[in-house]
Amino acid sequence: MAAARPRLSAGRETSDERAMEPAGGEQRELLIQRLRAAVHYTTGCLCQGVAEDKGVLFSKQTVAAISEITFRQCENFARDLEMFARHAKRSTITSEDVKLLARRSNSLLKYITQKSEELASSNMEQKEKKKKKSSAAKGKRTEENETPVTESEDSNMA
Amino acid sequence: MEEREGGFRKETVERLLRLHFRDGRTRVNGDALLLMAELLKVFVREAAARAARQAQAEDLEKVDIEHVEKVLPQYLIFIL
Repeated sequence: MAAARPRLSAGRETSDERAMEPAGGEQRELLIQRLRAAVHYTTGCLCQGVAEDKGVLFSKQTVAAISEITFRQCENFARDLEMFARHAKRSTITSEDVKLLARRSNSLLKYITQKSEELASSNMEQKEKKKKKSSAAKGKRTEENETPVTESEDSNMA
Repeated sequence: MEEREGGFRKETVERLLRLHFRDGRTRVNGDALLLMAELLKVFVREAAARAARQAQAEDLEKVDIEHVEKVLPQYLIFIL
């Protein structure tokens, strides 16, 4: 990526600069700045949590450094994920691709796999709920059973 | 999923990834986005924790950039 002249938030460039820069590039730069800021904000929040857990303080530069490392690492992650999906002849990246990304560290892989299973089971629950709702709705149409439709959590999936 | 202090928004993760895709057709499904958000969260927290431990090993309460620099090589080898 070209080390562009700093494009921080406000500030209007001269009309000369604008004329030279293709519209797409400028928009991309803006997007990059916004994403960098978003990552920085979240990194700050997460560091705050770690600070409280450990009873330390993080300097601003530390937060900025971790944020920048994370932001840059996303490029590698994105490219890897894209390649994993393509290797599996898909164009949509799935959980399986993310798990592959986490393969180097056993504990990380275990954590991600666990989260993936939690997601899968909560997705199943959502589907069960929808089935119950739609079958209950069908039940209502028959005038014989006037069973009230309750949102009871009597799911069998403990 | 438990919500501790902060976490990456699904939308942010999607944009972050899409920024670097080489193929215009590449998409990310919802679950994968949530998992990536978790992965990034761990990535940040672990880096921060390691830097903190380094500072504490040096009897310091303030974590500075040199602590990040010290732990970074081993961390990246471990996680990547």
